[in-house]
Amino acid sequence: MNKIVVENSSIIKSVNLGNGIFFFEMGPFSRVRFIKPGQFVHILIPGCNVFFRRAFSVYETDIKAGTLGILFKTFGRGTAAMADMKKGDQLNIMGPLGTGFKLPSKHETLILAAGGLGMPPIYALAKELMQNGYRKEKIFFFYGATSRSDLADTKRIKRLGVRLYLSTDDGSAGFKGLISEAIKSKLPNIDGHRRVYACGPEGMLKAIDKLAGELQMPGQLSLEAPMPCGIGVCLGCIRPLTRGGYTRVCREGPVYNIGEVIL
Amino acid sequence: MKPDLTIDIAGVRFKNPILTASGTCGYGEELADVFTLNILGGIVTKSITIHPREGHPPPRTAETDSGMLNAIGLANVGVDRFIEEKLKYLEKFNIIVVVNVAGAKKQEYIEICGRLADCPRADMVELNFSCPNVESGMEIARSASLAEETVREIKKVFPRPVIAKLSPNVSDISEIARGCESGGADCLSLINTLVGMAVDIETRRPRLSNNTGGLSGPAIKPVALALVHEVYNSVKIPIIGIGGIMNHRDAVEFFLCGASAVQVGTALFIEPDAPVKIIKGLENYLLKSKIGSIKELIGKVRIYS
Repeated sequence: MNKIVVENSSIIKSVNLGNGIFFFEMGPFSRVRFIKPGQFVHILIPGCNVFFRRAFSVYETDIKAGTLGILFKTFGRGTAAMADMKKGDQLNIMGPLGTGFKLPSKHETLILAAGGLGMPPIYALAKELMQNGYRKEKIFFFYGATSRSDLADTKRIKRLGVRLYLSTDDGSAGFKGLISEAIKSKLPNIDGHRRVYACGPEGMLKAIDKLAGELQMPGQLSLEAPMPCGIGVCLGCIRPLTRGGYTRVCREGPVYNIGEVIL
Repeated sequence: MKPDLTIDIAGVRFKNPILTASGTCGYGEELADVFTLNILGGIVTKSITIHPREGHPPPRTAETDSGMLNAIGLANVGVDRFIEEKLKYLEKFNIIVVVNVAGAKKQEYIEICGRLADCPRADMVELNFSCPNVESGMEIARSASLAEETVREIKKVFPRPVIAKLSPNVSDISEIARGCESGGADCLSLINTLVGMAVDIETRRPRLSNNTGGLSGPAIKPVALALVHEVYNSVKIPIIGIGGIMNHRDAVEFFLCGASAVQVGTALFIEPDAPVKIIKGLENYLLKSKIGSIKELIGKVRIYS
């Protein structure tokens, strides 16, 4: 069986969450049950003026229905074209791609850090943890963004029952300041063997990487990079490694251990 | 009856005329996650150099209208690891393996081809005379006499067929093609990418760290077809067409213009299973057109006089 499939699919549900943020549920996709949190799909939008596919972290999966969900914000030509798509519109899904998060051991206390549109893989991880019997008291979910309107779909996270700590740069919701600062402020309450998982903008990942290094806290970061091919053949999405050389974000990543990549 | 897709180039039998192009399929491992490599006529590996190369820093690729720019900088594992690991991996597939070779100077090409001479699984070599992203390669690409001399010396050390890959970034491609033919090249492949540039108007920075890169994809197909047709009329050796082939219709255009086989490159970045669809599409096209063999299409464009 081929590990990666390329399949025609369509939009089952499209929700406009405001501020240019959309939720898409897409299906069918035959490999939904094999998708791990942190993995992504590469989406081709037919009949529009974009050449490459666009990569999206898998947000939700519904194994029974054979569907998957993504969350995105309109940014460039690709996402703008997607925002115009409606229920029933066709698209092509390739995946599952990349490595997922390595699950922690059950005695660890988990800091999940989601910055802006980096939230989807962190949510997917939290959901997986809850389904695997991790205790919700040990999961600290930090969700930060520039402003309140960028904190999308918080209801979905709340439904998981994890502790949710919001933060915004402008103080319009939750803690005022960077997500790394929000984490620091809560650290005294987060006991035990701590492990961090983070996804978000470059600056945030850099701050989390540094903080984790200082606290000698293990963990993983999920990176973003423009990805032409998504399967490791074009060598376009490379990042420099701390130990020297380059890594392909689409193939060896997008998930890396703390300290592994030069941010 | 099933149409005949087989093609013979310099005594090498390809089960169909679809190859994957150098630099777009690594050494095969990644594509094997998507489809079985055995369906291919052949694979052309990423360029191999004497020593491993990390390549250029990011950004290395940029999306353009109907295509892309790349400046990877010949990132590869080097000839030693290639022979030990990558060629060994490819041994298990029933496809023609073409090893793309790049060098900073003539002597490097000869040395690499000499090493590959002892590896029977390297069915053919393709000489990358035309990578626009490293300074030195272009010297041979632009000089018919230097290309001729290099091919001649490689023919002395490599006992199997030699393909010379030509650059479109020259003033007279036929002159270079004839030089390679005189030097003893068994086949020509064309075209490599066209030099191009893209700029971010906010940062005023080029979109590639190398400032310029190679343009590929559907944007270059008309250029490639014109050059394949020109070279077809200038040499007697077979031609492998390359440049923006996304589907079987594009491939047929190349056959009609004189290509005996084609390489699919950038299409793999969008549809990694494109070769599967192209092979099927070719079969259906031949059936529908009542053509028994792909060979009947080669060079059969009906030129206006």
